[in-house]
Amino acid sequence: MKPSPFHPVNLVLGLIIWALWFVLLYGGLSVGCAFVPPDTEAGAWTWINAASLIAALIVSSYLLVCAYGCWKAPSLAQATDAEPLKAFISKTSAAVYLVSAFASMMLALPGAILPPCI
Amino acid sequence: MNNLSEQANREREAQLEHVWGNLPGWGALAAVNHTSIGFRFMATGMAFFLIGGVLAMLIRTQLALPEQDIIGASLYNQIFTMHGTVMMFLFAIPVLEGVAMYLVPKMIGTRDLAFPRLSALGYYCYLFGGVIILSSLVLEVAPDAGWFMYTPLSSNTYSPGPGSDFWLLGITFVEISAISAGVELVVSILRTRANGMSLNKMPIFCWYILAMALMIVFGFPPLILGSVLLELERAAGFVFFEISGGGDPLLWQHLFWMFGHPEVYIIFLPAAGIVSTLIPVFARHPLVGYRWVVLGIITMGFISFGLWVHHMFTVGIPQLAQAFFSIASMLVAIPTAIQIFAWLATLWQGKVVFHLPMLWIAGFLIVFVCGGLTGVMLALVPFNWQVHDTHFVVAHMHYVLVGGMLFPLIAGFYYWLPHVSGRMPSDKMGRWGFWLFFGGFNITFLLMHLTGLLGMPRRVYTYEAGLGWDWLNLVSSIGGFIMAIGVAVIIVDIVLHFRFGRRAEQNPWGADTLEWAIPMPVNAYNFSSMPDITTRHPMWERPELVESIAAGEHDLAEVQNLRRDIYGSDAVTGKVREVIHLPTNSWLPLLTAAVLAVVCVSLLVKVYLIALVAAVVALLLVLRWGWENGAHPRAAPVRADDPVDPPLHSRTCDGPGLWGMVISLMANGTLYVSLLFGWFYLWTAAPQWSTPETSPLALIPLAVSGALLALAVSIYRIAVSRLRKGNDGSLSLQLWAVSAIGLTHWCLLGWVLKTSSLQPTELAHDAVLAVALYYLLLHSGLAVIFTALQALRVKLGYVGARVPYEPIVIQAFWVYTLGVFWLSFAMFLLLPMAWGA
Repeated sequence: MKPSPFHPVNLVLGLIIWALWFVLLYGGLSVGCAFVPPDTEAGAWTWINAASLIAALIVSSYLLVCAYGCWKAPSLAQATDAEPLKAFISKTSAAVYLVSAFASMMLALPGAILPPCI
Repeated sequence: MNNLSEQANREREAQLEHVWGNLPGWGALAAVNHTSIGFRFMATGMAFFLIGGVLAMLIRTQLALPEQDIIGASLYNQIFTMHGTVMMFLFAIPVLEGVAMYLVPKMIGTRDLAFPRLSALGYYCYLFGGVIILSSLVLEVAPDAGWFMYTPLSSNTYSPGPGSDFWLLGITFVEISAISAGVELVVSILRTRANGMSLNKMPIFCWYILAMALMIVFGFPPLILGSVLLELERAAGFVFFEISGGGDPLLWQHLFWMFGHPEVYIIFLPAAGIVSTLIPVFARHPLVGYRWVVLGIITMGFISFGLWVHHMFTVGIPQLAQAFFSIASMLVAIPTAIQIFAWLATLWQGKVVFHLPMLWIAGFLIVFVCGGLTGVMLALVPFNWQVHDTHFVVAHMHYVLVGGMLFPLIAGFYYWLPHVSGRMPSDKMGRWGFWLFFGGFNITFLLMHLTGLLGMPRRVYTYEAGLGWDWLNLVSSIGGFIMAIGVAVIIVDIVLHFRFGRRAEQNPWGADTLEWAIPMPVNAYNFSSMPDITTRHPMWERPELVESIAAGEHDLAEVQNLRRDIYGSDAVTGKVREVIHLPTNSWLPLLTAAVLAVVCVSLLVKVYLIALVAAVVALLLVLRWGWENGAHPRAAPVRADDPVDPPLHSRTCDGPGLWGMVISLMANGTLYVSLLFGWFYLWTAAPQWSTPETSPLALIPLAVSGALLALAVSIYRIAVSRLRKGNDGSLSLQLWAVSAIGLTHWCLLGWVLKTSSLQPTELAHDAVLAVALYYLLLHSGLAVIFTALQALRVKLGYVGARVPYEPIVIQAFWVYTLGVFWLSFAMFLLLPMAWGA
């Protein structure tokens, strides 16, 4: 279930997703290399790298969608007394999601050039 | 104000002082007030800083000239280990916790922290732990394996003496203090802000402290676990880091740096909070980009957890994994840069007044930016390989830590000094102190970069002449002594100012934050009455607050039933929800910490029976502590005139204790996840990992034990659900039933452990399983005891439909215990079976 864009959990949710993605990426690499290591001659063109790059695209895209939703929310919502607080939460959250999307993609990019298990 | 009302106001303030003040004489040791505890943290931290500084001077004396033998190799190893340990664990973190404890309640417009006795316990654990660690130096058995205690160097084979034990037990003891401060600060910032202080109106300093406190909650448990495992290996022969038994010494490095790298930011964030507070004051302009800075703080808090492997680039990790951490290390520069640009923009927009604190801020900006740039250099893997373990890293580390923490800290000391003493520091002496320190620091460490690039390794007690390092080391040592003279000048200045300093006027720097609305020097209760705060700059927009607060024109001006009352507020909007009644002075924190110190020393000298007895006594003291809560006669017994709008927190279902429990369980959960990490790490990476042919545990009894636990939790949840609806019929009976079922589960679990064929001294697999079982037993046992005590409290009328709070708090503990039981069952037993491992 997606929280309201004005919910304060959004202030950290993007980076929690980033952290989980990091754990999955690093843990997945370690497990993949330990149990089903790809051919070392293949360089960067391995299933591990391909899977991590595709997953990074999915995670980053989702975070970008969240960022857009939080950014647009104050202008779509009706004005209330608590508007500055709501705008603060949703706009800051949008930036957090954006940073998280960027960071998630950046983490996986070395997979385009480096072999996974050497 | 006429004479009559002045008289009434004085009497009102005298009563506030009576209720909130410390006991006289030795009774001050029972103080729980945040101002006293914050001071004590800072004063003790500064004492440890001086000790760490003397150790640094010894290091620089030894290294000043080549081929010296002033300090032998063995003592040198002890000295550099203790220098790092003292500065990181006994100075940097505690002193910043002290600053936060002292300032946060004053900035958010309240009278104390949410859990005052926890603050006092934290202080005494810190003090006793610090003394225990330092005693090793006096006894000449100090740890000598470096402040990071890498295995196998710190293991029995290479460190057979008690040095490593002093470190492991002492630091774990000190970390109780850090975790308690973390929990305390998170809950206080989120739940005790002044009425109307919503998140977007919160002082920026509190955002930094909130992030720091949460980072402590998540950052310290991996090291606590690592220390426990290493001590178990050293004292009981369990296998975790020994390759031959299926362990791996690199597991220690992972656990250490999972803590160690976030720790750098735990130190930096509050210091940056001081910078973000002071710059707008001296620039006479609000902080530019408040929201951007909040973004920077949150981002830094998370990303700093993803860098730990950059301390391990040379241990043989695959290139791609190194690249992940290299990228993350560079990413963290972005939130740092956001803050630096916000500070520069504020300075640019404002009209800067260069008072003494601002000088230290300028020094911070220069030194920290240099340290940050060498940090980006070190994030590059090939460069890192070249300079690993050289003096370049030592120089970088000091630029970041001294620049990023000590410069802002001293700026903060000078800034808040009038708040404490009511007097101004000497501008002239202060400037001498600054320039001596700044000059000495750069002479010492700027050149040390070059020493490192020329190849001088760290942690060598001497070096041959003619390698090109001679003059660099000599000049670094001279710089070190100039820096020490600077510290001496600052200390003299601060000491003298208490007597000779010019009297400070109210809000002498023209600050915007609420702590300057308090009389100077500070009183025991902070605010004579509690104002509504709906602006980020209360003292700029409402300077009349000083008078109106003192005159008792706001809320909670009158003492009720001699209770220490503060407001509890909504975490987001800051609107008042309840009146939190706080405990008064208590000897329990001191006694508990003293008994824990006995546990620590008994373990050190390996008298385990005394350690066990002392641990039981400590548990009894903690239970007594918990007993004096809620509707207990010493807390807030049910009275006809109890406030109802807002109500007392113990009459609600969502007080600060519940938040404290949840935050504590987050720390606890991090420790558990770290154990899971260790399990999977050893399984996948340990060179000689092996598993027994058959399961060492009886699975069916274990599953039955888990089912009993699930039954206990279900009954407990039903009881609490009815209690929330105001139905406390047969509550006591239900709680006794839960305790009985929980006890049966505990006994069965204990039987499984006792009859198991675990060989924890032979196999790392079994050692991890044994630790997991001890962990489950501990949690189930505590849950049973807590619930039985609740049943007793129902009988005595301390818990019931009007006071439903405590069972709700404990419910979170039961649910957690159930969760970790079945997660353990799945991860430690079912998954390996399914995998065929």
